[in-house]
Amino acid sequence: MSTTSRLWIALGCLLGATFAVLLWMGREIHHQAPPLPERVATPGGQVLYTRADIEAGRQVWQSIGGQQLGSIWGHGALIAPDWSADWLHREADELLGMWARRDDGVAWASLDEGRQEVLKARLRKELRTNAFDAGSGTLAVSDDRAIAISNVAAHYESLFGNDPATAKLRATYAMRDGTVDTVEHRRELTAFFFWTAWATVTTRPGAAMSYTSNWPYDPLVGNTPTSSAFLWTVFSVLFMIAGIGLLAWHYAVWHRNEPHLAPPASDPLAGLKITPSMRATAKYFWVVIALFLAQILLGAVTAHYQVEKDFYGMAISDVLPYSLSRSWHTELAVLWIATAWLGTGLYIAPAVSGHEPKFQRLGVNALWCCLLVIVVGAFAGQWFAVMQKLGLANNFWFGHQGWEYVDLGRFWQLFLFVGLVLWLVLMGRALWPALRRKDDLASIVGLLFLSTVAIAAFYAAGLMWGEHTHISVVEYWRWWVVHLWVEGFFEVFAVAVMSFLFVRLGLVRARTATVNVLFATIVFMAGGVLGTFHHLYFAGTTTAVIALGASFSALEVVPLALIGMEAYETWSHGRATPWMARYRWPIMFFLAVSFWNLVGAGLFGFLINTPLALYYMQGLNLTPLHGHTALFGVYGMLGLGLMLFCLRGLRPAVPWNDGRLRGAFWSLNIGLALMALLTLLPLGVLQLSAALEHGYWFARSEHFMDQPIVHLLIWMRMPGDTIFAVGALLFGGFALRLWIAPRASTPAMLPERA
Amino acid sequence: MIEFYPQIKFVHVTAVILSGGLFMLRGVLMLARSHWAQHAALRWLSYAIDTTLLTAALMLVTILHQYPFVHAWLTAKVLLLVVYIALGTLALKRGRTRRVQVICYFAALFVFAFIVTIARAHDPWGILGRLVH
Repeated sequence: MSTTSRLWIALGCLLGATFAVLLWMGREIHHQAPPLPERVATPGGQVLYTRADIEAGRQVWQSIGGQQLGSIWGHGALIAPDWSADWLHREADELLGMWARRDDGVAWASLDEGRQEVLKARLRKELRTNAFDAGSGTLAVSDDRAIAISNVAAHYESLFGNDPATAKLRATYAMRDGTVDTVEHRRELTAFFFWTAWATVTTRPGAAMSYTSNWPYDPLVGNTPTSSAFLWTVFSVLFMIAGIGLLAWHYAVWHRNEPHLAPPASDPLAGLKITPSMRATAKYFWVVIALFLAQILLGAVTAHYQVEKDFYGMAISDVLPYSLSRSWHTELAVLWIATAWLGTGLYIAPAVSGHEPKFQRLGVNALWCCLLVIVVGAFAGQWFAVMQKLGLANNFWFGHQGWEYVDLGRFWQLFLFVGLVLWLVLMGRALWPALRRKDDLASIVGLLFLSTVAIAAFYAAGLMWGEHTHISVVEYWRWWVVHLWVEGFFEVFAVAVMSFLFVRLGLVRARTATVNVLFATIVFMAGGVLGTFHHLYFAGTTTAVIALGASFSALEVVPLALIGMEAYETWSHGRATPWMARYRWPIMFFLAVSFWNLVGAGLFGFLINTPLALYYMQGLNLTPLHGHTALFGVYGMLGLGLMLFCLRGLRPAVPWNDGRLRGAFWSLNIGLALMALLTLLPLGVLQLSAALEHGYWFARSEHFMDQPIVHLLIWMRMPGDTIFAVGALLFGGFALRLWIAPRASTPAMLPERA
Repeated sequence: MIEFYPQIKFVHVTAVILSGGLFMLRGVLMLARSHWAQHAALRWLSYAIDTTLLTAALMLVTILHQYPFVHAWLTAKVLLLVVYIALGTLALKRGRTRRVQVICYFAALFVFAFIVTIARAHDPWGILGRLVH
């Protein structure tokens, strides 16, 4: 049996086993999720909330942007509090204050330390005891707690309305006046917030921890890290070191004696015949640039909301509130990167097979139109939703689902899925002759095609939840899409497409590339599939999720630790032959992919990866530190690199403006680095310090975020963001000049074509 | 943020002096026909100073709640800044003849100085304010 066959079998077994565990654990999450009570009532029979209130409250929360304004259980936006943690601490403060005033006749702060400890112990008993009766579906709360709940609810009803008393807080939280439209909706919203807070503190039956494994950290109510969080943190580090050791050994044994391949005398792709459908992909890349620039602008607005409600004197929060600008900023990131990849796939597929299927160009054009309709339609729906003009009945289908990265209305999700399937069909029919050929390239083409199948198919995981599916189960499926895309199939697609390009350029043997890609896929997927659980440690799941998530996600770092070898190979390819100078800038962007894979995904990813670390860091600025450097650093850079590769073929006769590309490349990289190092990292560390000292709620509170030093650090984004934006503009200018008033093609201006 | 106002203003004014000084230096080098006028180190230094200048300016705008296109003196500053950048680019890079470069250089210096007087007086007429008002 050949090495390739063995690797295919190993990959099949790995995927079979890991997905079986992933699905089985999904079943467990469904069964072990925090229960939704039919009613929340006092012993006297006063019903505070019903299940219908809680479910409607969640709909209200989703309609205002959900995870795009504040967060629940640590998942969501950085501005505005984590509503679960905030409610929990406010409720605790209310109870302590009430007991101090009633029983001791003084304010809580005036009590001596001994008396405070007595009341704290009483508080923990009150909050941590699970008073949910599964038989009747009743969650019992004491009369005292009912008063505390009522007081906290009054605060939120004021905050989400127009009350001038909370106007300053709304400005700090970047909330518009009248965030929620009606009194009844605001009351229902408090029901949902109460329930999420209840699940974070009440003990799970048969366990000594809450439904969210004691997240958030709040020592006042007895929420401290569990022993299993500590245990699996330690083991995960051990697994990672063992994995790095094994992979280094593998590299040493298999990679050192590979004889170099003599590159061809001229560029094998120089004579590539551009088919009509390949030419039609140009418009995808124009859209990529437009979406990228729009995303940067929305990012600037989103970041600015951290320091003031208006944008340099313009009252844009009335028409573009924070939750909307952030929604579009995050969605556009995925959309432009995905569009770059879709375009690249459609450009490469006919080139791989040398076959232009009938009506392929029509399909490429139709898909492009669909993508435009989806972007415009979905964004319009979200605007109407967040401005509270759509109504709850239509919100799920056409408005804002509120689930970060997959928050399009269900209709638009379905439409996007259809678009992805159309992409898959177009890719499949163009690749089909190459897939049927049993040559050296068959396996690598097969992997490329499989990754496209997976990218299209796994978006369907985002259709697995309904309007009222339990939040823990929604989170489970949501991370199927986000995590398995980003840390699974995107990685496979990236490795496969880059290896394929190097094979086509005659710089790597097809067999070597096939083995390397298959091996890399096995290594990525070994950690990637079950690593999904590291997003779900505290999402109403059990200890098994912490154990699996910590162990396997630590393995995700293993290939990244040795990515320097891959980077060196890429760099060597760029210098293998004089004509590779034509591909200098795609190669430079691929090198940036390796760099940010190590720094953004590896270092900053692992910083927040272990259960103990994430327990304190989830939802702090250390999360976007990883998010920006990994999502743009890796996949954004890859999208731009692939785009350059395609542009080289689409406009072969037009000389490139090297100076503009050099400026774009370095500005994007330096800008991203400054964004990370001047703001996100120091602010995240400050927040972490505050969370450790006072509790998680404090690190997200207005008391913390309104400090002058925090504002100063946020302002320090400006240099990096400006340089980054200049880089994007230079890149856009470069691409547009290939079509609009292109430079004259003279031999003197084409040194790279030597 | 008001706590940091003196420091931010200091950074802003320092960056203005450095930016203007560097432009003056590069202009002199241009007049002396030195290739150093377009040297990468000077260009990058210029980008770094101007980015700092812009950041500090936007911070001051937010702290003081005084905005371009709302307050006349800031509107005048921003519009003249655009003129200054255009003249500066023509002087150092894009001017087709030496005559154009020299004229643009001195015009840019004049506009720069006028912007400074606007900033000092908080008046769109700058140093001319005494004559106008």
